Amino acid sequence: MAGLYIHVPFCKQKCTYCDFASYPREIGKVESYFACLYREIEGRAKQYENTKIETVYIGGGTPSFVDSKFIAGALRQVRKCFEVSSDAEITVELNPGTVDKAKIDEYKSVGVNRFSIGLQTGFDDQLKRLNRIHTAKDFLLSTNLLKGENISADLLIGLHDQTAEEVFKSIELAIAGGVKHLSVYALTPEVGTPIYTDYLNGELLSDDETADIYEKVTEYLKDKGFYRYEVSNFAIPGYESKHNLNYWRRGEYIGVGVSASSFMAGRRFTNTFKIDEYINAVIYNKSPEISSDIIEGEDAKFEKIMLALRTAEGLSVKEFNEEFSADFMREYKEVLDKKHKYLDINDGRIKIKDEYLYVQNDVLLDFMKE
Amino acid sequence: MSINKKNVRNFCIVAHIDHGKSTLADRLMEKTGQVSERDMEEQLLDSMDLERERGITIKLTPVRMFYKAKNGEEYIFNLIDTPGHVDFTYEVSRSLKACEGAILIVDATQGVQAQTLANAYLAIDNDLEIMPVINKVDLASARPDEIATEIEDILGIDASDAPRISAKTGLNIEEVLEQIIDKIPEPRGDEDQPLKALIFDSYYDNFKGVICFVRVIDGKVKVGTKIKTFMSDKQFDVTEVGVFSPKMQPKDSLVAGEVGYIAASIKSIEDTAVGDTITTVENAAKEPLAGYKKALPMVFSGVFPLDGSKFNDLKDALLKLKLNDAALSIEPDNSAALGFGFRCGFLGLLHMDVIQERIEREFDLEIITTAPSVSYKVYKTDGEQLVIEDPTHLPPVTEIDYMEEPVINASILTPPDYVGPIMELCQYKRGVYKDMVYLDKSRVELKYVLPLNEIIYDFFDSLKSRTKGYASFDYEIAGYQRSDLVKLDMLLNGDICDALSIIVHKDKAYERGRQIAEKLKEVIPRQMFEIPIQAAVGGKIIARETVKAFRKDVLAKCYGGDVTRKKKLLEKQKEGKKKMRSIGTVEIPSEAFIQILKTDSDK
Repeated sequence: MAGLYIHVPFCKQKCTYCDFASYPREIGKVESYFACLYREIEGRAKQYENTKIETVYIGGGTPSFVDSKFIAGALRQVRKCFEVSSDAEITVELNPGTVDKAKIDEYKSVGVNRFSIGLQTGFDDQLKRLNRIHTAKDFLLSTNLLKGENISADLLIGLHDQTAEEVFKSIELAIAGGVKHLSVYALTPEVGTPIYTDYLNGELLSDDETADIYEKVTEYLKDKGFYRYEVSNFAIPGYESKHNLNYWRRGEYIGVGVSASSFMAGRRFTNTFKIDEYINAVIYNKSPEISSDIIEGEDAKFEKIMLALRTAEGLSVKEFNEEFSADFMREYKEVLDKKHKYLDINDGRIKIKDEYLYVQNDVLLDFMKE
Repeated sequence: MSINKKNVRNFCIVAHIDHGKSTLADRLMEKTGQVSERDMEEQLLDSMDLERERGITIKLTPVRMFYKAKNGEEYIFNLIDTPGHVDFTYEVSRSLKACEGAILIVDATQGVQAQTLANAYLAIDNDLEIMPVINKVDLASARPDEIATEIEDILGIDASDAPRISAKTGLNIEEVLEQIIDKIPEPRGDEDQPLKALIFDSYYDNFKGVICFVRVIDGKVKVGTKIKTFMSDKQFDVTEVGVFSPKMQPKDSLVAGEVGYIAASIKSIEDTAVGDTITTVENAAKEPLAGYKKALPMVFSGVFPLDGSKFNDLKDALLKLKLNDAALSIEPDNSAALGFGFRCGFLGLLHMDVIQERIEREFDLEIITTAPSVSYKVYKTDGEQLVIEDPTHLPPVTEIDYMEEPVINASILTPPDYVGPIMELCQYKRGVYKDMVYLDKSRVELKYVLPLNEIIYDFFDSLKSRTKGYASFDYEIAGYQRSDLVKLDMLLNGDICDALSIIVHKDKAYERGRQIAEKLKEVIPRQMFEIPIQAAVGGKIIARETVKAFRKDVLAKCYGGDVTRKKKLLEKQKEGKKKMRSIGTVEIPSEAFIQILKTDSDK
């Protein structure tokens, strides 16, 4: 039982906030990259024999930017090397403006049953400022091709001069496109990205303003039938992302391709971020990993807590005690007492109260042992 | 080798700050061949980094020089350097006791200054022969004739033949060397009498134990001599004696008239107090030499390690500093906000600054200091009298009849243009005007009586900014005066933060409370809850600010798979939190305390 993540590090152009492994100028390496990716899939399957895949997520970059035959090939390879459960959730990320009917048909032909669209905002001026390649209209053209499918969309908050009302409009647009799941991420300006300059110059919303929008958006989505099941994820019940839930539940997953992270057999490891390094490693049968850590003891416990407290379901005390042969309530009594004001402790589950979910770090830090 | 006392001169150099004392000392050493010009690091005597950076001398440093005079004879000069700042008057008096004469340097452009006077009088009090030298005559604005007259008028010292020199260029340095022989008397004392050696400084050497810097007044000491001091019963075998040239140079013996050092495997610094007299176990001297007047600390501040686990390191550092700084007082302190630390007493603000910097530099310790305080006299209604150095020790208001605070006689030298702004400042600082004297067309001396607790709180910075740095300030303690004082407490989320309590004049309480509250608002990071900051006097809230609760403190970026990165971000945040101090429910970064203490009123 595990998730599988496939990284596609290509896109048409970089968005101003993007610090992910995605390289618009490397498109010439698509063929060799996927050849290596197929090999890594095979290798990982041998390395972790008898792993049953429950979810597949193809992210990027822009997976829909490359020829759909590569995506289809990757999924065929997965099915060839792993056992994939019959009801597996298989998601592919799309950018509006990069899809057509043929692509989507090919995705569907290899079992893709969930589509995650990078909308970010429903306002063309904002999209342009982020260097996105599409317009709001492109989004609707894409969703038109996906009628009746399980669609998710990503939105960003904290953009230049953004108002809550604008985010509401973007949400309305997404819902009009048939979206049943929304990820609402706070724009995080990273050093080295163009938007970092805007951040330094105070052109982005402050944390307070972003938090304000976040709160209003949470309320707004609730009215629309989307409940918050994780800090940044909202869904109509039944449409939660199984692949993401697996992360929060500290389940196992294999990540293939550049920059992909895995968690298997107690080990967390991440592949190189560079395409050339990746290709060279795979060709010469070397490991593309650049970091590898065995997670055990207090570290493992903290991970479990840190991840679970991001979710609406919270942490199951029973599950924790079984997994770590521990006595959670006794071991963390001090923190639970100190932070009881921010926690819901009910029916053997620990949760961060809704109103404190967005200021949770301070609570998490107390669970971290010295 | 026996030395002829006739050919020894022990002297020091005294001067107002920046009149060229260290430069002259360097030049003397160079001319006597003690150091070659090439090897010479500028201002050799100021060996501490801190001293060189600030251009001040803090520690005493003796140097032995050989000089072949024009009369053909060879002389030994022992120069004992002295600190120039008023805070270190005590140290000056220590070194004066080891000398027969003092070179008084006066700047040819500035003339007699406050410290010129103070140090000259100190030297006269110690029966030293004073030899005036006029320095910086190479400067265009030098007025050597006028200055010579000034020295005679103000100090009553004949300056007609004072050498007119430039320590910087080396002009007329030989004249200084010759005059040392003519004007400064040969050492007193008798080699055949029982040993009497005055300890004027000391430090701890990891290999040799305590090294005592001494002036041998009578008698003789050599390796193997059994010695003792008058204040301690312990006996020691001398393992090494020697002189300074300027590095320590072992020698067979030290005799009456000489300045040097003694090592005797002395383990504990308490066994050799500065000012004590060393004598021999057999044929001991009957009486010790007159010691030093104990210097009383006037400014107090809590000193705490930034990292609470470094308490013992801080203790060691303070004890080592105290070894040769009798004026530093230390007692253990415990603050709810800052944990375990020390309450230290200093002679003045510069002394405090210097000690704090030495702890940080020489011992590589990061420290937090609380707002400086002074010692108050508290007269209780039940007749009891207390001296309070720590605001948190103040008894409840209901038990206090009245209080007294220390005041100073301040002398401010300034160009006439700034008299107005300075008078305003002194008035604002509760000063009482005493006198104003035009020293000449370009300089006015203003005299005020000012409460010391107003001086320790940003007086220097205000004076500097109001006079573009032209005014100089000097003071001496002038006793106590009754005053309407209150204790100002700062409350964070309802809890008093003891490290921030101060004693202020009633009329200043509101303003200071508001300032500190505003500053606290700036430096306290937002937390999960709203934090009221209150300033209170006797339970009454006089100012209030609020730190709003933070609203976003979450990892809210996509790609859930990279858990390691999320964890790292949290670990980093945790590191930052470790540097916080908890005050009740509120967490404050240690640096915040430093920021708060730097409150500036001249906004």
